[in-house]
Amino acid sequence: MPAIDSRDAVFDALADPTRRRLLTLVGDGGAVTATQLAARLPVTRQAVSKHLGVLAEAGLVHPAREGREVRYRLTPAPLSDAVAWMATVGGQWDDRLAALRRQLEAGG
Amino acid sequence: MSDEVRREVELPASAEDVWDALTDPERLAGWLADAVEVELEPGGELSMRTLEGERRTGWVEHADAPRRLSFWWRADGDEETSRVEVLLEPSEEGTRVTVVETRPLAVVELRGLELSARHEIPGHRPLALAA
Repeated sequence: MPAIDSRDAVFDALADPTRRRLLTLVGDGGAVTATQLAARLPVTRQAVSKHLGVLAEAGLVHPAREGREVRYRLTPAPLSDAVAWMATVGGQWDDRLAALRRQLEAGG
Repeated sequence: MSDEVRREVELPASAEDVWDALTDPERLAGWLADAVEVELEPGGELSMRTLEGERRTGWVEHADAPRRLSFWWRADGDEETSRVEVLLEPSEEGTRVTVVETRPLAVVELRGLELSARHEIPGHRPLALAA
């Protein structure tokens, strides 16, 4: 569970759209491997592993070794819920406002 | 204690142009959502499919062109309703746009006030507020 002072790590982790998508997939999947996640995203397994590492460092997902696999689960934490909501929604508005700016700069 | 996301950007366009981009379904498709249906008045229905692929429904709280738009929305299958307020102010560069999204629990303390303000509005959704 991330402490308050790791809030920046959480925001950085969720600044990336692929990581936000990954977090959603981990939330839907319960306990998933990097290979399973890579099958559902247009990125390599290696890239997925890297992104999962960033999410794990931010305390948003938790890796557990099961046999020869590593499975990822969402970190259950009331604190991270508020932080993750703010980071996710904030990231969405960053993307939307950037797209709105492009539209206005292109003359509508 | 409030869960709040706030973003402030300066956009190179007039408030009228930004308002149009915020409310015209064709232009919304370029940055927020497609399949937008909105009744731009207090209590008006709202539905869309966001560019993240979620279907969202809700209702309009304020639509004061070209200054202030606020609405409540919720993704399909999601328990949680949140409130979005967009404020437009003329600035040197064009328009300063402030977006604030808050979660209902953060607004509970304001609920008495909000409800009394909204009570007169036909078609509003008390349930959307009563988280």
